[in-house]
Amino acid sequence: MFYFRGCGRWVAASFTKLQFPLARLSSDSTAPRTPHFDVIVIGGGHAGTEAATAAARCGSRTLLLTHRVDTIGQMSCNPSFGGIGKGHLMREVDALDGLCSRICDQSGVHYKVLNRRKGPAVWGLRAQIDRKLYKQNMQKEILNTPLLTVQEGAVEDLILTEPEPEHTGKCRVSGVVLVDGSTVYAESVILTTGTFLRGIIVIGLETHPAGRLGDQPSIGLAQTLEKLGFVVGRLKTGTPPRIAKESINFSILNKHTPDNPSIPFSFTNETVWIKPEDQLPCYLTHTNPRVDEIVLKNLHLNSHVKETTRGPRYCPSIESKVLRFPNRLHQVWLEPEGMDSDLIYPQGLSMTLPAELQEKMITCIRGLEKAKVIQPDGVLLLLPRMECNGAISAHHNLPLPGYGVQYDYLDPRQITPSLETHLVQRLFFAGQINGTTGYEEAAAQGVIAGINASLRVSRKPPFVVSRTEGYIGVLIDDLTTLGTSEPYRMFTSRVEFRLSLRPDNADSRLTLRGYKDAGCVSQQRYERACWMKSSLEEGISVLKSIEFSSSKWKKLIPEASISTSRSLPVRALDVLKYEEVDMDSLAKAVPEPLKKYTKCRELAERLKIEATYESVLFHQLQEIKGVQQDEALQLPKDLDYLTIRDVSLSHEVREKLHFSRPQTIGAASRIPGVTPAAIINLLRFVKTTQRRQAAMNESSKTDQYLCDADRLREREL
Amino acid sequence: MVHSPTCPHPCFLLVPASEPQFPHLQTPDAGDAVWNVRWELCTRRSSGPPAPGSGATIFALSSGQGRCGIAVIRTSGSASGHALRILTAPRDLPPARHASVRLLRDPRSGEPLDRALVLWFPGPQSFTGEDCVEFHVHGGPAVVSGVLQALGSVPGLRPAEAGEFTRRAFANGKLNLTEVEGLADLIHAETEAQRRQALRQLDGELGHLCRGWAETLTKALAHVEAYIDFGEDDNLEEGVLEQADIEVRALEVALGAHLRDARRGQRLRSGAHVVVTGPPNAGKSSLVNLLSRKPVSIVSPEPGTTRDVLETPVDLAGFPVLLSDTAGLREGVGPVEQEGVRRAQERLEQADLILAMLDASDLASPSSCNFLATVVASVGTQSPSDSSQRLLLVLNKSDLLSPEGPGPGPDLPPHLLLSCLTGEGLDGLLEALRKELAAVCGDPSTDPPLLTRARHQHHLQGCLNALGHYKQSKDLALAAEALRVARGHLTRLTGGGGTEEILDIIFRDFCVGK
Repeated sequence: MFYFRGCGRWVAASFTKLQFPLARLSSDSTAPRTPHFDVIVIGGGHAGTEAATAAARCGSRTLLLTHRVDTIGQMSCNPSFGGIGKGHLMREVDALDGLCSRICDQSGVHYKVLNRRKGPAVWGLRAQIDRKLYKQNMQKEILNTPLLTVQEGAVEDLILTEPEPEHTGKCRVSGVVLVDGSTVYAESVILTTGTFLRGIIVIGLETHPAGRLGDQPSIGLAQTLEKLGFVVGRLKTGTPPRIAKESINFSILNKHTPDNPSIPFSFTNETVWIKPEDQLPCYLTHTNPRVDEIVLKNLHLNSHVKETTRGPRYCPSIESKVLRFPNRLHQVWLEPEGMDSDLIYPQGLSMTLPAELQEKMITCIRGLEKAKVIQPDGVLLLLPRMECNGAISAHHNLPLPGYGVQYDYLDPRQITPSLETHLVQRLFFAGQINGTTGYEEAAAQGVIAGINASLRVSRKPPFVVSRTEGYIGVLIDDLTTLGTSEPYRMFTSRVEFRLSLRPDNADSRLTLRGYKDAGCVSQQRYERACWMKSSLEEGISVLKSIEFSSSKWKKLIPEASISTSRSLPVRALDVLKYEEVDMDSLAKAVPEPLKKYTKCRELAERLKIEATYESVLFHQLQEIKGVQQDEALQLPKDLDYLTIRDVSLSHEVREKLHFSRPQTIGAASRIPGVTPAAIINLLRFVKTTQRRQAAMNESSKTDQYLCDADRLREREL
Repeated sequence: MVHSPTCPHPCFLLVPASEPQFPHLQTPDAGDAVWNVRWELCTRRSSGPPAPGSGATIFALSSGQGRCGIAVIRTSGSASGHALRILTAPRDLPPARHASVRLLRDPRSGEPLDRALVLWFPGPQSFTGEDCVEFHVHGGPAVVSGVLQALGSVPGLRPAEAGEFTRRAFANGKLNLTEVEGLADLIHAETEAQRRQALRQLDGELGHLCRGWAETLTKALAHVEAYIDFGEDDNLEEGVLEQADIEVRALEVALGAHLRDARRGQRLRSGAHVVVTGPPNAGKSSLVNLLSRKPVSIVSPEPGTTRDVLETPVDLAGFPVLLSDTAGLREGVGPVEQEGVRRAQERLEQADLILAMLDASDLASPSSCNFLATVVASVGTQSPSDSSQRLLLVLNKSDLLSPEGPGPGPDLPPHLLLSCLTGEGLDGLLEALRKELAAVCGDPSTDPPLLTRARHQHHLQGCLNALGHYKQSKDLALAAEALRVARGHLTRLTGGGGTEEILDIIFRDFCVGK
């Protein structure tokens, strides 16, 4: 169910030119030939693009269904990518050969690493992105991805069939029905439809359904999901109005320049596409008591703020900031929307006041005295269309006032860590539909869903990133075991192994696994990651092997504040821990054998980071091993927690386990209310299952053989 | 790998640079105390694959509490051998699976602790499948407590959590499925016993202190985390970090003073906790006086005479027992007695064994019925596996019953008849008590106060050490990690400690969000 623009023209048009060059066509002679793909991805937002390309990289013939090809890669909310925690996610997406980091390296207009002074484990890679360029580059990439077909079309319903007996789930998805009644079959289907479920847009007291206006509400897909028994929740979010660039008095504002040199997002890039001196600045201004006054005086005109729909604990809008933290000045970042854009995005001024009051409030702010809010276009409001981030985008990207969005999401405890739903086999959810917010969170889920949808088709085990391996793992584990009651956003404080899961080492953590277990990583990237990993290991062992007395070190590197009181020999690795020492100064002191490690800038910097955290990483590794042990203990997927008899579990624990369906002992132990005794009982199950499986090993070998034979037959066709 | 032939520590070359999946470094920091660990790691790696379950090394008192000649303290984990060598220095590891006599010394002071029998079980041929050590020491509280504290001071060792030994054994395939049948019950009992023990300990001044410290630390950590996650994009107020620094420093001073001051150590309330409870005027105080053979509590015919909890250590059937007399449970009385009732209920929760007392001649009264319906039924209906709390129902004043037979209704749970006045039924009660206490005290899972004290000390010291690291760290991510570790130690004692708590504070105290 997609929102096309008030008429069926696009859909009809798209299907007249429908071509499925990669699709296997059904050979059933009695039925009309229907296209058949391995994976269908519904939605072309940040989750959808990553999912579709990841599935294609894994070797699946993939169809990306989107309402309009020209909105693929649209950044519907803020014109930036990355940040603290989010930058970590992007690095991990890149480590799995995902798109967004590479596209950002080609499309940014202001690159800046946040948290520079707080330690490399929490550096936040961030950039202002040119919306137009991003979209262009993304579309180029998508349309040139081998095995990926992109098609315009609105999905009306899912095709459901009998479930596979060896998996849990009520039924199995085998394709989709489009709005014109035609069908496309597939082995797996990924839903990345953002906020489409019963989305409404709120400006002041006006609300507009953000769905198919003039159409019958809530038909098709949404109804099917509900009928299947998916539990739905409701969230709200918002976006600020856009301001005309030439109406802002930048000369009196605090100017922020980008980093020099720019740090690229992708491991495969050494530089970004644009020189620092050609990049655009950002400006900072602040709210004042007059802003508070306008908000407080007009609360009665602001239904979004008053409503009880669960908003986040953090402050998403200027109204909530004023209400919860009165009498303070709040930051407003004025961010460029692109190289040749005449719009400025006022980050921090997300609001839902009536349009005329929005401009009144904005003009109270320093530097914005003459600011022109781009007025809403009357026609536009009648034809809103929801984007993945809950934003409306209009024809020709016309700007809009700030507004709020309220929408349904599906309780993410209904999906597994591979993002497949418990209820429907081979149906995957990724992105905002799972209750997250942010491009990066969506992209991260997209990659995982794409990989797993593809692995499912080839009957390979799922690709799950553990909490101990990446922010992606933390994100998905939090969602699938704890659920969420506010739009889930990544923070580094959510990550217990923060010092191990750093932006610099995402490739060592994920690229190798992505290559071996998922097949989603290119040979070139894999080789680069392997080289880096072995160089790091070699470098570290060399740094450990070089030992001198502290007085000798002091003589060699006088600028280091090495204490000479200790008589024990000091390793080069320990010297590298000092803030004022880097690989260059070490190599100057001990050229042989250290000089060769300074030739690659990235390697030298990463050695320094490894040295900084060395002592703590050892302890963290111990803990990580403990967690991984619990995660290695898989719980049987077909366990019926409500009725199973030979385990003593309290009713409460049964309900919790039944709803979240944890896949491992580790995940089960993180569900609040699941007691240590319950965990032991579950452990017993793991062991009995293992025993049973060992006995059944013979028969599974036969299955394997049959499966291969099946594939052979397919190829012949 | 570059092999340096001149390397003075050839062990470095034996350390694999990384795990296949985890490219992180595995060498401990260069602190003096850890040099041995590094050596330990190297020898382990060189002699075969790493032991399964190479998490932290745990220790616990594995013999029951109560009077015993020998107490057994067990460790499990890769640092077991290291711990044994540290406590028995300068002697080497004894031969595997052979009992040897060794002098144990406190590694910090060098003071002798005990001449003990030690057994070294290298994994995987051990109870848990990991390297294990058993110390058979003389059973006095001072010795046991000394050895436990000495073990707690060895880097890499920590007191075991409930059921941890068994769980490790299970995870390593050392228990067969029939042995595991009773495991969940055992774990449950251990958890419950530990919870009650923790409640007792946290009841007093120390508990109050710990909770206060944990709160301060959680807030300081939340502010540091906020500074990391939102310091650049959102405007936090000035001085967030400075404030956290000040709080951490104050906490460090308080913890240090506490650990140095021996007098502040919790009074050891050893023994099984037996609580006498019932409606007013059932004769609870009379029973306490009878069992302790001295007039501990004032008795009078007036209901509500006992208004506070009165504790008295007694020896019952050979077991150390802390007997508590409590206020009669009733509602709608004066504030002083009401407080007494509240305390009584609190004490009830912490009890190992409840002596529920009713007036046999007054069973039909509302207060008796209410008591039966609430206290007795709630403990009684739980199967033994659900609650390790035990209850004996005693009907007092049997001398007032008519000789034809007792008046109690047929639906009364199993009970004992007693007359505190004549002493009739006392032998039967003592015999029942002996059975129950044997179960309570003989169960090695019941967390003895000695271990609780060792655990407190271990975690408080760990917290203090981590706070020291916070101060030294220039890298804010490292500093925050030190606070996380410090908080982890405190919340082991007080409970709580999730990430959500941190996020709640961040969003309560700061205006953040885009």
